[in-house]
Amino acid sequence: MALFVYLGLFTWNIRTGYVDDLASHTGLELTRWVLTPGRWAWTRLSSFWDRYVYFVGLRQENETLRSELARANDELVGSREQAALAQRLTSLLAINPPPEWSREGARVIAHRLGPNAALETFVIDKGSRQGVEVNTPVVSPEGVVGRVLRNSMSAATVIMVTDPNSKIPVVSQKTRTQGILVGRGAGQSLSLQYVSLSAPVGQGETLVTTGLAGIFPPGLPVAEVSGVSREGASLFLNVQAQALFDPQRLEEVALLKKLPPATREEPPEPLPDTSTKRPKGAADRKGEIKQRGKSEPADAKAQESTPRKRHGDGQ
Amino acid sequence: MSGYRMVFWTVFTLSGIWMQSFMPGIDFLAPGLILSLQEEKIRTSLVLGLLWLLIQEGTGSLAFGTVILWYGVLTALFFFGHWLFEAKNFIFMVILGACLGVLHFVLMNVMAQLQDWRLILGRVFLEGVIQAVVFPVEWGLMYIIFNHLPQGKHDV
Repeated sequence: MALFVYLGLFTWNIRTGYVDDLASHTGLELTRWVLTPGRWAWTRLSSFWDRYVYFVGLRQENETLRSELARANDELVGSREQAALAQRLTSLLAINPPPEWSREGARVIAHRLGPNAALETFVIDKGSRQGVEVNTPVVSPEGVVGRVLRNSMSAATVIMVTDPNSKIPVVSQKTRTQGILVGRGAGQSLSLQYVSLSAPVGQGETLVTTGLAGIFPPGLPVAEVSGVSREGASLFLNVQAQALFDPQRLEEVALLKKLPPATREEPPEPLPDTSTKRPKGAADRKGEIKQRGKSEPADAKAQESTPRKRHGDGQ
Repeated sequence: MSGYRMVFWTVFTLSGIWMQSFMPGIDFLAPGLILSLQEEKIRTSLVLGLLWLLIQEGTGSLAFGTVILWYGVLTALFFFGHWLFEAKNFIFMVILGACLGVLHFVLMNVMAQLQDWRLILGRVFLEGVIQAVVFPVEWGLMYIIFNHLPQGKHDV
């Protein structure tokens, strides 16, 4: 009986397809509605997992990249600092010391220090052990900075040209107008004093040292004239000048040290006397050499001073 | 002096020098002198005072002697004020700081005049004002730190 029902249903379904349709519209649909959210959930879950794993990896990678970036930034900052230092030191090396003077670099380690630092000063890391003496000229690539005020074994205090107690005899480069350059304090312009009313000094002119005081070698640039005016019944022009260096940005300076006078070798001369005593006419000959030096043209003088220059450069 | 105190005074001195390089014209060691006079034996104060005297004189630009007067007057003011005020009173330190501010202005001018040097008065005046403010504040901080050192005798 059952077999009969089964075969009858089977045949009817083959012919009409009703059972297949019923099954499709119920079971398949139900399965679809069950499976679809699960599939969506699974997709989301797997997607979330993928993203989570990805983000974990990304975070780690990000952290690694961040640390690498930080290290690279540190290196970049260090490299930039080194490059800036190299540039500053190169410009220091570009300072050509005058003949008979040698140059030595020094680092600024502090500006005015303590309650007793009443003057415009700074401290450098070179002292008497390196041959730094009181009044040793201190220059920067731009020009004269000041002179050594006091020194210890490995440090020295430098008074800047901007201090009111700094007085330097200078001459203008073009018009050769002389005067005394006096500081007026930090952030203030310098004052060129004792310039006669008829002096042709003009704005923008560079003031260089005269070397008259015996502290600075002649010809070093100190300041640039920033203003010229007349004041009432004054007998002198009111000349203002700007220092060529920036005190706030001073990190390295150069010290100019006077070389010991070069010993000149006397030319060998056949002498009748074979004793080791100095010949009587040696002093006169030395005088002759000096006279000759004055009267000879500049080329000859330069040639004469070449060995001394080399000697200075070598130190 | 215990090891902790030795470390304290060493760190105080080094920090003071560093601070002085950041704030020119200001004495960051002077509060230490008063603190040592209050808390330490007189011999310790003398040694510290001598050390700081040499530091201040050495780094300064005026001729030697200015800081002797500076610390001498400060010590004298402390002992004088000790009769009138409680020595560890903050108000006393404020008054002492104000006196130091005035002293800075007067002393710098007198000593510069003696050396025939010119000063920028505005700057010296400003330094005096800052000194007057810095002194009691720094003393207060140092007093608290000092009394929280291990084996400290006093409670704050």
